[in-house]
Amino acid sequence: MRFSMIKAIFRKELLDMSRDRRFLISVAVVPLIVFPLLISGMAKLLPRIQRQADADALTLAIAVRISTPSIREGLEKAGLRLVEKDDLKASVQNKSAGAAVEEMPSSPPEVRIYVDASDPSSSAAGERVREALTELKDRRIREELRNSGIDERVLAPFTVNRVNVAGDRKMAGALYGSVLGYVLLLLMFTGGMYPVIDMTAGEKERKTLEALLASPARRSEIVMGKTLTAIAAILATACLTVASMAYSLRNLRGNGNGLTPPDPRMAELQQSMGTIPLDASTIGLIAVVLIPLAIFAASLMFAIALKARSFKEGQSYLTPLAFVVIFPALLGGLPGLKMTPQLCLIPIFNASQMIHGILLGEVSQVNFAVTLAANLGYSAIAFFLARRMFDDEKVLFRS
Amino acid sequence: MIKVQGLSKEFSDPKRGTRLAVDGVSFEVRAGEVFGLLGPNGAGKTTTLRMLATLLKPSAGSATLNGFDIVREPDKVREQIGFLSGDMGLYGRLTPRETLEFFSQLNGMDSRRGQQRIREVLSLLDMNAFADVRGDKLSTGMKQKTAIARAILHDPPVLILDEPTSGLDVPTARSIEAAVLDAKTTGKCVLYSTHVMEEAEYLCDRIGVIHDGKLKTTGTMEELRQETGKQRLREIFLNLLGLAA
Repeated sequence: MRFSMIKAIFRKELLDMSRDRRFLISVAVVPLIVFPLLISGMAKLLPRIQRQADADALTLAIAVRISTPSIREGLEKAGLRLVEKDDLKASVQNKSAGAAVEEMPSSPPEVRIYVDASDPSSSAAGERVREALTELKDRRIREELRNSGIDERVLAPFTVNRVNVAGDRKMAGALYGSVLGYVLLLLMFTGGMYPVIDMTAGEKERKTLEALLASPARRSEIVMGKTLTAIAAILATACLTVASMAYSLRNLRGNGNGLTPPDPRMAELQQSMGTIPLDASTIGLIAVVLIPLAIFAASLMFAIALKARSFKEGQSYLTPLAFVVIFPALLGGLPGLKMTPQLCLIPIFNASQMIHGILLGEVSQVNFAVTLAANLGYSAIAFFLARRMFDDEKVLFRS
Repeated sequence: MIKVQGLSKEFSDPKRGTRLAVDGVSFEVRAGEVFGLLGPNGAGKTTTLRMLATLLKPSAGSATLNGFDIVREPDKVREQIGFLSGDMGLYGRLTPRETLEFFSQLNGMDSRRGQQRIREVLSLLDMNAFADVRGDKLSTGMKQKTAIARAILHDPPVLILDEPTSGLDVPTARSIEAAVLDAKTTGKCVLYSTHVMEEAEYLCDRIGVIHDGKLKTTGTMEELRQETGKQRLREIFLNLLGLAA
């Protein structure tokens, strides 16, 4: 193979792609704009929805069927607006009440709280009722103990405290690692899809492939040049995705104008994000995992798209591949999964798990080596397949 | 020089079975000669030209271009040829100049030689006015001129042209024909396929008529007139196809 030919083809494809609006959208715009909008939009909306639900819970009526006066009194003292309804469940379902409380005739007495868990307001109202009843129950227990002459301290013979020994970095790794692998791998495949289809089926459709095939460039050089372009697009999508997600999460805060303070969960997430080290070794390890996978993805998509006669047909061949990627990528991000060298042989899944492990700071050298070797092997096979397809006249001149 | 000996191509299709698109075709084209390949649609012209351009592998027979075998030395063959077919596309997002720069690199031309040759070709084909306009903005004639420029850029000794004036207006077709005659006078070997009889009469030194994959006859216009007793190439052609009135 002649490097000068591969370089010429690679540069021409990059130039061509850089002028294609659809390429720029799939590789750059989606990661740079959509994710920050999505993350900051959700960060603003979710707390607002929760606050609205909490506010609604203060005013919503609570339907009751209670015979014990002290329980009714306890609920009223908690500031809840009690109403009588014949059908308690129906009143919650048709939203004429936020939640309902029913005292069941049993021994000991059972108090049931009815909520519509699909409605945040109903859930919040039910939570207020639960808090009021819990406080009432605690008060009654203390009274009974006092009346019996028993010290209240018997209720708490010892305290229990949970201490998290995982540092901030590891917690952030567990949080971020379960999502990043899945998002990265899916976007790598979808980001590379458009340029691959354009360089194969698209060229066939536009009838520009023949001139290239009749040139002195060898078939292997053409395949290499085009695959390198696809790999560049895939890795660019990966880098931009990571950068925009990190930027979005770091900037999650209430703004400094004295408006809404940051949500505690978002503040914890932001704190965790800020502790992930962006040192060369972490980035380097992730890059080492991603590069063979990018080669595999590019070569596999190249081989599949080459069979298509048109761009549209290429899309119909490659779109199912995105769904095939989702499942192992998601599984690989699951926490608590014990990796073995055998599991490291499963492509996509192994990369997702490796990324998770790298961010957790827990990577087994054996598993890393097996993952790398396996993915390099798969990428070699996929490239060989793409190269063979490019020799097939029926595939190249299929019309 | 092109030497074709018993060239055949069989296509197989699961639904349609096997079809012999080219059946034992033999001919030669000398340096400084324009050889016209005439035939109706589906006769096997394009398949023959594609085999010679190493895009398709022959099922039988052999061919050499400037001494290089199309099966054993396809890389060398492609260095010798400029190939153009009438429905070849252009890169829509690149300008003609950028396209030519790309193909100059593929043809192994260094930067200085490549730029010089690009200037010559743009001038020869009167393309300077649109050399920096993107491909998808060009007219049909401008695109075809760019395709011709691409084929002759590296000054190949052999030109294989498959209906290069197809769909072009007369002035543009005339500029393509001028480029072909220029190639001939500089000693190139030109294999030219066309449907346009007047064009074949004007350009070609010798003509081969192909029908149903078989080469019916080859010869100069005079030889074909003597063979068929007809004067005009149109009648000669129809006579050879068995369609003369």
